Amino acid sequence: MTAAAITFSGVTCRYGRRTAVDGVDLDVAAGEHVALTGANGSGKTTLLRAALGLYPTTTGSITVGGRPAVTGAEWARRRRDVAWVPQRLAPGRFPLLVDELLDSGGNPVAARAAAAQLDVAGLGSRPLHTLSGGQLQRVFLARALGAVAAGARALFADEPTAALDFHGQEQVAALLAALPVTVVVVSHDRAMSRACDRVAEMAAGKLRLV
Amino acid sequence: MDGFLDLLTLPAVQRSAIGLLIAAVGLPIVGVFIIGLDIIAVRFAMMHVALLGIAVGLLIGVDPMLCGLLACAIAGAGVAPLAHRPTGLPGAMGLLMTFAIAAALLVLSVSGVNATGAFELLWGSILATRDVDLIILGALTVVVHVLFWRWRRQLALLLFDREIALCSGVAAGPLLLALLVVVAVAIGASIRLTGALLVDALTILPALGARNLGRSLRSMVLWAIALGVTGNSIGFVVALLLDQPPGPVLVLVAGTLTLLTYLIPEGARDAIDPGHRVDRGGDPVPAGQRL
Ligand SMILES: Nc1ncnc2c1ncn2[C@@H]1O[C@H](COP(=O)(O)OP(=O)(O)OP(=O)(O)O)[C@@H](O)[C@H]1O
Ligand SMILES: [Mg+2]
Repeated sequence: MTAAAITFSGVTCRYGRRTAVDGVDLDVAAGEHVALTGANGSGKTTLLRAALGLYPTTTGSITVGGRPAVTGAEWARRRRDVAWVPQRLAPGRFPLLVDELLDSGGNPVAARAAAAQLDVAGLGSRPLHTLSGGQLQRVFLARALGAVAAGARALFADEPTAALDFHGQEQVAALLAALPVTVVVVSHDRAMSRACDRVAEMAAGKLRLV
Repeated sequence: MDGFLDLLTLPAVQRSAIGLLIAAVGLPIVGVFIIGLDIIAVRFAMMHVALLGIAVGLLIGVDPMLCGLLACAIAGAGVAPLAHRPTGLPGAMGLLMTFAIAAALLVLSVSGVNATGAFELLWGSILATRDVDLIILGALTVVVHVLFWRWRRQLALLLFDREIALCSGVAAGPLLLALLVVVAVAIGASIRLTGALLVDALTILPALGARNLGRSLRSMVLWAIALGVTGNSIGFVVALLLDQPPGPVLVLVAGTLTLLTYLIPEGARDAIDPGHRVDRGGDPVPAGQRL
């Protein structure tokens, strides 16, 4: 498991005429843990989704481990390199079992061990839509930890503790802090910011360091 | 009863029984795909797309049915790029339907072929099943099963959430393309083989029932096939006994089975799911350490 440096340079994303991310420059060193904060609607989720190729950038570039992504193969590699905890956990248009989601991270054994650590062992044969909000979030986290064990060199976690109880927030902050890979975590919770090396704040699409 | 047994000795009845059985094993999977992609209107769309293909075939003098199926395949592939929008696919089906019927009417008017003749080519009846129809149905069933069993993990992720699938290394684009082409061609061919009414009984109805019974893609597919085989067998026998056309009887039987699945309370599904196994492939955490 090696960590990858991540650079955002001049990244701009638009939804129609609305600019959601506005010329963001950010260098994250290999192995560094950065907390991304900022008001609702300031562009945090859009920025991370752009780095995964889930939303197009209008201008600018994003590299992971020095590599840009343009072709389909490069994006596929990017998505192997970066484990992801989405903010909007898929409600599931169609049934999927917890185990099927855990396995999709690429390392079923590690994902199930992570699920046990996160107190959601034994839910494996349940469909995701039958879980509580907090359980669902823990399962998505466990999946991402499985992806890290499978070789991802960075983790993007978008408000991974939003649905968790206090104990869970501390638990996850400690778990992420111990990860040897580069971490960008969107969070409004102070335990998480404290556990990170650095805090970056977004406001109206622009980034500033605090 | 003697009359019933006599009927069963007729080659036409035997062929349609075999046809229904093959269809019951293959088409419910197509139905599950259709529900997963949220394109229930695909049947109407493909009916008109096939008609357009037939019209073009009649105009240029190439086998009309082949052109019909080709048109379905192209239409299925054509809507794939719309899938990244939440309403892309369901909307596309309505669009396809109106476009295709307009284009078909134009082509028919240009070619001077009468529309009724073209429509008749499109319509099939299970009692008119020929040997070649059985072969086509069989081939379709094999393709659908291979697509499902070979890629079921990827399909489960794709139908659950496209972005999670993408981030799990699933080649979402090509897989979706394959899925749409297979669904489109299967529907087009089934309309020709069994008639439009039966297509619903063979695809959508078992899948709708399975949606109520299954808790994962795999168990939904197994339930859909089980419902399909049950519905077709009962429906066919009842139709023969009552000496009524099999199409409507089969639809009523399949519809009743589907309706019954709505009576099962949500929580009760755990107990009846054939795909349900508590310990799937070795839990790395010893039971004593579980919380
Ligand atoms: N699909 C969309 N279509 C149009 N506008 C969007 C879309 N998604 C986000 N936006 C807009 O882009 C801006 C940035 O949204 P984004 O989700 O990136 O914010 P965020 O910082 O993650 O907010 P939150 O803290 O609420 O999660 C917001 O103004 C939002 O309304
Ligand atoms: Mg957000």
